[in-house]
Amino acid sequence: MDFSRIKNIFHHLFIPQEKNNFRSKLLHLDFLSYYLLLALFFTFLFKTTPFYNILGYATDITIQKLYELTNKERRKHNLPPLNYNEKLSKAAYQKALDMFNKNYWAHFGPNGETPWQFILNVGYQYEYAGENLAKNFLFSENVVSAWMSSKTHRENILRKDYTDIGFAVVNGTLNGEPTTLVVQMFAKPSATNFAKELGEKHQVFASEKKQLSQSLRTSSYSQPAAVLAKKEQKPIINANKFLYNFNLGFIGILVTTLILDFYFASKMGILKIRLTGKNLAHFIFLGFVILGLFIISRGSIL
Amino acid sequence: MITHVKKEFKKYSFDYLLLLTFGLFFILALNIFRGERLLEFIFLLIFVSFYIIWGVYHHIIHDQFHFKIVLEYVMIGFIILFLLKIIIFP
Repeated sequence: MDFSRIKNIFHHLFIPQEKNNFRSKLLHLDFLSYYLLLALFFTFLFKTTPFYNILGYATDITIQKLYELTNKERRKHNLPPLNYNEKLSKAAYQKALDMFNKNYWAHFGPNGETPWQFILNVGYQYEYAGENLAKNFLFSENVVSAWMSSKTHRENILRKDYTDIGFAVVNGTLNGEPTTLVVQMFAKPSATNFAKELGEKHQVFASEKKQLSQSLRTSSYSQPAAVLAKKEQKPIINANKFLYNFNLGFIGILVTTLILDFYFASKMGILKIRLTGKNLAHFIFLGFVILGLFIISRGSIL
Repeated sequence: MITHVKKEFKKYSFDYLLLLTFGLFFILALNIFRGERLLEFIFLLIFVSFYIIWGVYHHIIHDQFHFKIVLEYVMIGFIILFLLKIIIFP
């Protein structure tokens, strides 16, 4: 392997010298045009390639992951894990649909609908119940960490009275813009209801336990166009995670090149004689963009 | 390198403070309206436009204006705009 050749290429790409007209090649206008073409490809054409997530504007949020992370937080605080409940998931799904249909983002609907109403409507009689909402997050980890950072949401997750949990991750249009809603519902069945259901539950408990992970993926509320939790619909790569990491990596390389270019140009004393934009300004701009990228990946909670 | 950064800041302190202030407002606005995708994109568009205008203004004021320099700001601005658009509207 010719290391001196690799070294020369590296120098040509990153370090200002006579051969690259005293400006890192990666910052030349022709290279910037390639990046622009690449960005245009990802913006307009990537969605048409087979690599793209078949779920459209899907995010990387899955019910399975949310369930695991929620119980992980409970275990950390020596609390028993919550049982996944199909009825609560159905209630969560109906709540999400109601928000899309009536165009609101709140615990209580415009006509006075309460979260508890959705729970009761699916035939779940509760003694205690709670609800956490999240909107436009990109990753499951960020949803749970945002809830854990908020006092009231954290109290819901760590409340020892709850025994069951249900989730819905639904895509739709809210206030005219594509939105991903996450609804998390907690409850403890009422004593009378619990006694009634105990007999049935006792018989199916063993098989339910085995099939839990499967039921999280194939829940009847996981409608193909809406819910992202179906394992069988997972693409070869998760397009959004890939694009997010690609963005971070690309901006990281650009920032590194700017720093190297600035460092060597200042060492060579050619900063004032070069006809280029200000590296420091680009660096500040990209710094804010990276910060913005982290904020954008975290939606809002309620 | 640090000396050069300091010199640059000292020489064009107003320009850089302007850019930093606008950047802080951009972050603040994104944080306040977290989860509002359309607003996030509008803030990004405003910040990118400001950055391009800043580049043109800075180089005109200090007699370093050249079409190639403008193109550099425009290209970096648009690359970021398109890349972040994919994240804001996945």
